[in-house]
Amino acid sequence: MSSTSIPSKFDVAVVGAGPAGSATAYLLAKKGFKVLLVERGRGLGDKQLFGGRVYAQPLREVWPELDKEAPIQRWVTRERVSLVSGDKALTLEFKGGERKSFTALLPQLVAWMQRKAEQAGAIFATEATVDEIMFKDGKAVGIRSGNDVVYADVTVDAEGVNRLLLERAGIVPRLSPDHIALGVKEVLRTGSSQLEAAFGIGSDEGVAWVVVGDVTRGVPGGGFIYTNKDTVSIGVVIHLKHAINAIESGQLNNHVYELVEGFRLHPYFRNLWHGATISEYGGHLTIEGGLSFAPKRLVYPGLLVVGDAAGLLLSTGINYRGVDYAVYSGKLAAEAIEYAASHGGLTYDNLLEYERKVKDSFMYRDLVRHRAVEMLMNDPTMFSKLAEVFIGLFSQMFEQDYSVPTPYEAFTGALTEHNMSLNKLMSYMITAVRGL
Amino acid sequence: MRIVVGMKWVPGTQSVRIDPKTGTLIREGVPSIVNPHDLPAVELALRLRDKYGGEVIALSMSPPPAIKGLEYLIGMGVDRAILLTDRVYAGADTLATSYALANAIRKIDAEIGKVDLAVFGQETTDSSTAHIPAQTASWLNWPYVYYVRDAWLTEDGKLRVERILENAIEEWELDMPAIISIAMKSIKPRPVSLLNKIRFKTNPSTLITWTNSYMNLDVRCVGLKGSPTFVAKTVDVPEVPRKKIVYKPKDGEDAARWILKSLLSDEKASRALLKALRGSSGGEGS
Ligand SMILES: Cc1cc2nc3c(=O)[nH]c(=O)nc-3n(C[C@H](O)[C@H](O)[C@H](O)COP(=O)(O)OP(=O)(O)OC[C@H]3O[C@@H](n4cnc5c(N)ncnc54)[C@H](O)[C@@H]3O)c2cc1C
Repeated sequence: MSSTSIPSKFDVAVVGAGPAGSATAYLLAKKGFKVLLVERGRGLGDKQLFGGRVYAQPLREVWPELDKEAPIQRWVTRERVSLVSGDKALTLEFKGGERKSFTALLPQLVAWMQRKAEQAGAIFATEATVDEIMFKDGKAVGIRSGNDVVYADVTVDAEGVNRLLLERAGIVPRLSPDHIALGVKEVLRTGSSQLEAAFGIGSDEGVAWVVVGDVTRGVPGGGFIYTNKDTVSIGVVIHLKHAINAIESGQLNNHVYELVEGFRLHPYFRNLWHGATISEYGGHLTIEGGLSFAPKRLVYPGLLVVGDAAGLLLSTGINYRGVDYAVYSGKLAAEAIEYAASHGGLTYDNLLEYERKVKDSFMYRDLVRHRAVEMLMNDPTMFSKLAEVFIGLFSQMFEQDYSVPTPYEAFTGALTEHNMSLNKLMSYMITAVRGL
Repeated sequence: MRIVVGMKWVPGTQSVRIDPKTGTLIREGVPSIVNPHDLPAVELALRLRDKYGGEVIALSMSPPPAIKGLEYLIGMGVDRAILLTDRVYAGADTLATSYALANAIRKIDAEIGKVDLAVFGQETTDSSTAHIPAQTASWLNWPYVYYVRDAWLTEDGKLRVERILENAIEEWELDMPAIISIAMKSIKPRPVSLLNKIRFKTNPSTLITWTNSYMNLDVRCVGLKGSPTFVAKTVDVPEVPRKKIVYKPKDGEDAARWILKSLLSDEKASRALLKALRGSSGGEGS
């Protein structure tokens, strides 16, 4: 071997170069910490399959140059929500104007974040899987990858939803289907002019579209559509528990990829990407109920947990905020480490600053406020039933031959048609409204 | 021992598509990988170094994105890597490539230290010529052996190799310097290691780039100009779309009946079936 010595001691070792890990590493390296960022994926952003919509403001706090430099596909100017039942659909559109969120292909966006971290001076090691966070006398002292050991004063766990390392460390239990959803996605190449014509948008506009109801063949979950520059990202997210139930009850016997195919071919949507080629597809786990997924603590001696691994993801059924939460938690972790270093050292007590910062943040407050939604999303009948009733209502109002029903008749007609009592509907609505 | 190991940066195989109009490989947007058959060669080189000391130098003639591949080899434990890159090297066939590689090996020999052995993969997944080891050896006038799966030094300092053929295993002894190419899939490559990755990122000198202003090769002998061979035509053999029908048979007989019935209900399939039956009974396979 050549005689060059290899550094095996860092101030901070960050495991996982997703949005959370990349942001943490970037901010710490910029402050002069000796940072190691380890990622098991090969290329930049390789393991980062998903794109969608990202809320910009939390990211701007880390990278003020975001709007100018980041690989933004389109700023979202229109929000659409569709309820679907069979071939029928009810769609609501909101046209906004401000640059609040953008669509992105996550591999590109994460590659950009990783480059930022590396340019700031973080040592970025790809294709290396961390097998274990090492503890000594109850304190995390570094990481092990194969036979290689690297020591660090603080380890930041940014491993994302799978959390094998935290599981091995006995910090979290085995992943339970209760808290997990499966996302299956396709990227459809249409070309920008066809895309803009089909969606009815200008070249500087973008659409974020949430679809609720039957697209997942009655399995609770939903679909999403995001317009990129010249491609459309579409996909479905099904709650793992419900997917398993559906498979066991025979309701679902196809491969999950066929769910997204059902969505792609749905008569209400398919003309939006008529003739497109599928340029990418894949599946990935995601967490749903944030707080119930969080580990008991976000700080352990020598160890901070950020991003998805920390359960910091908000999913209300309409809004989905994972990337910005991950980045923001990385920012708070970096600030806490900096705080600790300047207040007598990276001790457990000093690092607890991270937990305080998270609890004071918009993320934690929102996760608490939206708890009810979690429960709502876990009720398998709610999605399909609500969609059916509302579509029924509009179908009574618009699909007529001679007689025009009064709104009351249309409403009660829809309820009886779909076996829904007013009480039950009200209770759904109350939970929903309380949650939202 | 100073060992040079060759690396080609090739399109990831599953994702290779062929342009139906031009018949050429579409490389754009296809993620590249280290030629999988090079990895056993790297592994053998590393084992020899671990056993006898010295260093392993990876060598690749490629556009700059191949740095990712060289980084992978350094991650495995290769001591340093040389990227041979220049506009004038583009479009090279195997003759022009081996010419550049042979000269790079000479240069390593002169500038870094005596080269004892060069190790290559058996062939590459994107062109499968298997020319490079032999051609490079010919330029250097070194002995070479293909299909090697193990190598060691004899007491009198010669290289002994074991090569596998279809129905024989042979041992050969070579004077060094020599070139060997390693039988595909014969040796399991080690994974990359975190410390080696860190070494790559913290020591910029582990990766050196040599352009032609440094190599000084005759531009008529490299790249497209130095390439007498070319691909005259590529025919894309498109995948035949297949119908997928799933039938859950009660038992073997039921399955056989169902298969026969389905085949006979399709005109084209039944004709092919009859033809095959006739062929096998008449002993005259068609
Ligand atoms: C289908 C789907 C759609 C989504 N849509 C959106 C959306 O529209 N908007 C949004 O904001 N969010 C969305 N998300 C969520 C978002 O992707 C995540 O919240 C976000 O990526 C979390 O970032 P992270 O850095 O915590 O984890 P991750 O992005 O999961 O990154 C973790 C990284 O760690 C690496 N890693 C893991 N273990 C190891 C190990 N042992 N050693 C080395 N490396 C390791 C992984 O390879 C990975 O790169 C979506 C998710 C899915 C699945």
